[in-house]
Amino acid sequence: MIQVAGKQMAWHEGMTVSDLLDELKDPHPYAVVRINQQYVTRPNFEHTFVPDDADVFLIPMIAGG
Amino acid sequence: MPDYDFKDAKTLDYKRPEMENGYTDQTLYINLSDPQIAIKPVAEKTKKTFIGGKGYDLWLLWNAVQPSTRWNDPENALCIAAGPLGGTPIYPGSGKSIVATLSPTTASVIDSNVGGYFGPYLKFAGFDALEIQGKTTAEMVVFIDGVNQKIQLFETSGLPENAYELSAILTEHFAQGKPRNISVVSTGPGAKNTLIGCLNFTWYDSKRKRARYKQAGRGGVGSVFADKGLKAVVACWNNVTADTNKPADKARLKNVAKQHSREIVELDPKQNEMAKIGTTHLVTIMNDHDLLPTHNFRYGQHTQAPNLGQEVYRRMFDPGFDGCWMGCTVACSHGIKDFVPLTGPYKGKKVFVDGPEYETIAGCGSNLGIFDPHTVAEMNFYSDAYGLDTISVGTGIAFVMECFEMGLIDQSHTGGLDLHFGNRDAALEIVHQMAAGEGFGQIVGQGVRRMKALFAKDFGADATIMQDIGMEAKGLEFSEYMTKESLAQQGGYGLALKGPQHDEAWLIFLDMVHNFMPTFEQKAEALHWFPMFRTWFGLCGLCKLPWNDIIPEDNKDTAEPAKVLKHVRWYADYFSAITGNEVDPDDLIKMSESVYNFQRIFNLRMGFGRRQHDDLPYRAVGPVTETEYESRAERYDKQLAEIYKADIDGKSTAEKLTQLRKQREEQYEKLKDAVYKRRGWTPDGIPTHKTVKRLGIDFDEVVELLRANGVNS
Ligand code: SF4
Repeated sequence: MIQVAGKQMAWHEGMTVSDLLDELKDPHPYAVVRINQQYVTRPNFEHTFVPDDADVFLIPMIAGG
Repeated sequence: MPDYDFKDAKTLDYKRPEMENGYTDQTLYINLSDPQIAIKPVAEKTKKTFIGGKGYDLWLLWNAVQPSTRWNDPENALCIAAGPLGGTPIYPGSGKSIVATLSPTTASVIDSNVGGYFGPYLKFAGFDALEIQGKTTAEMVVFIDGVNQKIQLFETSGLPENAYELSAILTEHFAQGKPRNISVVSTGPGAKNTLIGCLNFTWYDSKRKRARYKQAGRGGVGSVFADKGLKAVVACWNNVTADTNKPADKARLKNVAKQHSREIVELDPKQNEMAKIGTTHLVTIMNDHDLLPTHNFRYGQHTQAPNLGQEVYRRMFDPGFDGCWMGCTVACSHGIKDFVPLTGPYKGKKVFVDGPEYETIAGCGSNLGIFDPHTVAEMNFYSDAYGLDTISVGTGIAFVMECFEMGLIDQSHTGGLDLHFGNRDAALEIVHQMAAGEGFGQIVGQGVRRMKALFAKDFGADATIMQDIGMEAKGLEFSEYMTKESLAQQGGYGLALKGPQHDEAWLIFLDMVHNFMPTFEQKAEALHWFPMFRTWFGLCGLCKLPWNDIIPEDNKDTAEPAKVLKHVRWYADYFSAITGNEVDPDDLIKMSESVYNFQRIFNLRMGFGRRQHDDLPYRAVGPVTETEYESRAERYDKQLAEIYKADIDGKSTAEKLTQLRKQREEQYEKLKDAVYKRRGWTPDGIPTHKTVKRLGIDFDEVVELLRANGVNS
């Protein structure tokens, strides 16, 4: 089980950030998510694995400067 | 006994006016040449048109200077203002001051916003803005004592040169046991000896029992301050509450302030954790998107970037509340305790470093090929203490490092310094030389534009290549984002009124990552709305971070997520609650439009403000060298073939580089056309008569100026 934006979500072995977003069916084009204290950016979504028990935050927009 | 001396030069006792709906309706005028202190009323029309903050600064400056005025003429004015909402302690981010003056590096108007307590204290002492003209050969400290209703000018001697000690001493000197009542504005020796000086504005950190500071960095505002002979300007005020600003509707203010404040407390831990790591999270994010400048903006990525990332600074920052104004729940102004510099006058001693923020990390770290967080912190500490802008320091040193590696300059020019990228000792040595006004550092301190001319004239360096790689526009050094792959952000930098600083528009993710604005018209619309909305913060005395760095959870489902319209509505509510003028979100844009166009016209008055002045160095637009092209060959080849339908088969890198450059430069010119049209400007980038009339800035002088520049309709 993982927490995504405060809600419980099923976890499976080999789950990547891209898988997570697909399974969430959230169409927003996230550029960044945070897993625990680690930032993961879109170029890395496909090859970053989500660990079990992770706390995942979906960061809606990076505003910059 | 302290070994410094204060001698009375002039005093004015005054009666503090009642604050009303965020305004005092008067400004403070000081002339240092023949010491003079005066209080000027604010006309109703000025208030309506210019709102406050940057708007008031610009109006005061416009009336103080002539088109022939230069930055170091006595009539140049240094203006500092809060704004009608500034000083509200219950709404996050409500303590900004805006500084405006004629810049030594751009020769036109520069504005710089900064945290710390000064702007609110100045206002509560009775003044919506401060205007300082004239020059003195003595060292002068101005004391604005709102508690005792007294303005004092002191000739001082024996005070320390650097802002780190000066801020602490002046806080103690004026505090009478209440250091939280004091805010000091000062600079340091670097500002005196270069053209890229910053100002340090203090806020008192009660927990750590020390005066901390934030910087008004851009465009050499600190150099103007030092050139005037100012040692410091100090404001004193006590007891700030939600009533101090005398809001028109306190219940409404409390309601909206509570909503925004609570949302930040709830969501910041889930989003970017700014209360813990400030803006340092941007380092790795920018790096992953090829947007973190490295090696003088050649590349946007480096394998060692995580060494400068949030995980490192999370460990280095001293935990605790770090709000640069009272009650700011974002509280992102972090610092490093017990830092021990390895060089300079504080070598081996424990100091407190205010920062670093993202810009300093990128400017004094990755852009110099330096991936050592300790060096960045040391550059940060000394730049602040010496009164130097870390962005111009970083971008300036990056330029000379590239010139050195290209062989345009060598050790015979640099006084023996080996300026290869990554040389930490050399970078720090340049900062110390800037402060001393000696050696090659003194040259770097003139800014990139002057260096380009000097290297060509005195060292025989190739002016064309320096034009491409010298990262300045309008005379201001670039702040620290890569723009090569975002046409909209090229506009965000190139079309910014004061020069390439990201506070007008930051559109990179919208454009590049989300592809939300594929057409020129959409980009132009963004380059209208965002600069206008961001300008509004500067009119009101606000920090923009609470607007879009912490975002409502449902924001992504809104029609225009980048605008964070829920917050925009809150800001309209906030403005209405304080001033009693009922406004909606569109009104906020209109307020800014008047001031924004006025500033563009101010540039025109100073001999700038036309299309040619919105040009960019090509490094900001695309790859300058074959090596740069080849490092991202797949990307560029694909663009040439698919977007520009170019036949690249069998073409050399040099040929492809030329083709790409032609295309990208054309795109940028088309963007200018679209933006000028959207803003109601001529194709030469000048606001039309119709535009100034619509905005209520068709003063006789403005109309005359437009006519003199061939704009009649
Ligand atoms: S958000 Fe950060 S910079 Fe802005 S006012 Fe708050 S503490 Fe200061």
